[in-house]
Amino acid sequence: MRGVTALLGPLKYLLLAAALAYPLTPVSDVYVLHVVVLVMVYMVLAMGLNILPGFCGLLDLGYVGFYGIGAYTAGLLTLNYDLSFWIIVPLAVLNGALWGIVLGAPTLRLVGDYFAIVTFGFSELVVLFLTNEIWLTRGPLGLPGIAPVSLDLSWLSRLLNPEWDWRYVFSGEEPYYYLGMAMVFMVYVVLRRVEDSRLGRAWLAIREDPMAAASTGVNLFAYKVIAFAVSTGIGALAGCFYARWAMFLSPDMFKFWESFLVLCMVVLGGLGNIRGALIGAVVLISLGEVLRVALPKFGLPAETRFLVYGLIMVLIMRFRPGGFFTAVAESTLASPLIIDLRRKLAARKTG
Amino acid sequence: MLEQQLVNGLTLGLIYALIAVGYTMVYGVIELINFAHGEVYMFGAFLCMTFLTVFGAPLIVAVLLSMACCALMGVLLDVVAYRPLRNAPRLAALITAIGMSIFLQNLAMIIWGSRPLPFVKEALPAFFKVTALSFGDVNISWMQMTIYIVAISLMILLNVIITKTRTGTAMRALAQNRVCASLMGINVNRVIAFTFALGSGLGAMAGIMVSMFYNTMYPTMGYNAGVKAFAAAVLGGIGSVPGAMFGGVVLGIAETLGAGYVSSPYRDGVAYAIMILVIILRPSGLLGRAVTEKA
Repeated sequence: MRGVTALLGPLKYLLLAAALAYPLTPVSDVYVLHVVVLVMVYMVLAMGLNILPGFCGLLDLGYVGFYGIGAYTAGLLTLNYDLSFWIIVPLAVLNGALWGIVLGAPTLRLVGDYFAIVTFGFSELVVLFLTNEIWLTRGPLGLPGIAPVSLDLSWLSRLLNPEWDWRYVFSGEEPYYYLGMAMVFMVYVVLRRVEDSRLGRAWLAIREDPMAAASTGVNLFAYKVIAFAVSTGIGALAGCFYARWAMFLSPDMFKFWESFLVLCMVVLGGLGNIRGALIGAVVLISLGEVLRVALPKFGLPAETRFLVYGLIMVLIMRFRPGGFFTAVAESTLASPLIIDLRRKLAARKTG
Repeated sequence: MLEQQLVNGLTLGLIYALIAVGYTMVYGVIELINFAHGEVYMFGAFLCMTFLTVFGAPLIVAVLLSMACCALMGVLLDVVAYRPLRNAPRLAALITAIGMSIFLQNLAMIIWGSRPLPFVKEALPAFFKVTALSFGDVNISWMQMTIYIVAISLMILLNVIITKTRTGTAMRALAQNRVCASLMGINVNRVIAFTFALGSGLGAMAGIMVSMFYNTMYPTMGYNAGVKAFAAAVLGGIGSVPGAMFGGVVLGIAETLGAGYVSSPYRDGVAYAIMILVIILRPSGLLGRAVTEKA
């Protein structure tokens, strides 16, 4: 794997240039752009979720609840108050982080599985709320007709020349492609910075050994709450982007299956590895699309892809429980059996 | 009205209890939330229906066969998915469990289609429709009576197995300390497999009775029932078998009353809310001992 990463060094800029230029080239395709934007949404979700199990060792099974909170916050503010996307983003993120703190504060003291169960229950309650509070959310009918993102610079252009009116309403996939790229890039850079900061180091300490971390003066509870707020805020950001991109929301978009999918991305890429989360998102969303096209050719319904997903997850856990690029110490992740195997293989290579 | 609600709540509660013991036994022995347990329950209903329609088996035979198949399925689940991860981190085992759950759910969709199917009404004895007891305007049909009798006798049987037999003693030893139990000569893997078989068989029976009672079955039925039964196990104290039975009954009644008197759309929310509150306020549940993370 290290060889691949080294190779990516110089190739990185080439890839970035290609990605930036792609929508402008003649081979650009609406379907591909659409899938890429979807991948970007999941990249943000995977990076956000990664903070909890990957950096702090907290298993969150209800991440999609906060994605839903962000999406519905954005959708409702757009429909009811016609606010600009740029004002809604901070509001939705704050709302997501706020609910994260509301859920996190009483539950972060719980151990292991109990924490996972509570987050799971919370996200199911979010779906129930969205489905049943029809006065607010229109219930199962969902929210159609959410306005697209728009960029209103008329105030600036009027200063320069009263005749000019600079407004741009997003249409088609291309603007979202660039906006999504900016969003992914921003979250990525922020998280990379956090990873190397005091905060990130404290999180890693909590993951590797909570006892030792506490004894060296890391305030476990405070750092866990911060992790939760950051993570849920990022989830809400993805939801906010999704709402204004898809222009339609319904409660069943935020069911448990989505949480599992994002968790799989994080695990596949390797817990605690931000780039791994990105790769996980690319792999699983593309796989889903490929299966959707390929399965009917074998006479199987497209829904069979979930069966394949389930199997793939089981196999990955069986053979690479740490994912493909894990950052977590072997002792906490890989089974003794696998560590033993690796040692034997290493011995065989040297001997 | 209230009395009828209580009767219905008890029916539901006993069924939850039957599923919940499966969760709680497995958790007690290997500390794993067996996410796929709800799917075993769902398979129980579908297999029973298949034996009735495709093979034309009599009801009793179909029920017993279905329970046996599901017990085997539980063992396979353990051998194929969980056993290789026995010493792996908990996260890996949990993800595997969820993966198996999704796999089995979709397998059922491929085999039987995703539309709800009715239970084979012709196979049910005629007296099921007859009222067994009635107090004033509360009626208990023989079908409900059968559910009560079967569920309660199965639970008594389970208690006897756990407290009186050698295997049951081994199960309890394993729940206390796996390493120590294996040093005492207990065949750990065999006992764990037995635990899975026992829990899965009971879960299958619950699935059969639910589909009989509501006259419907669908591939996703295991999800909701599974979550609620798990909530029941938590309420009673995870790892405690009497706790799971008690928690199931309490939850079934709470849900029916909640749906009847508070808000019908939030019917499913009752279980989640109870589960969250119990975990935050009293993680050991009503009858359990406090859970501590084993290193």
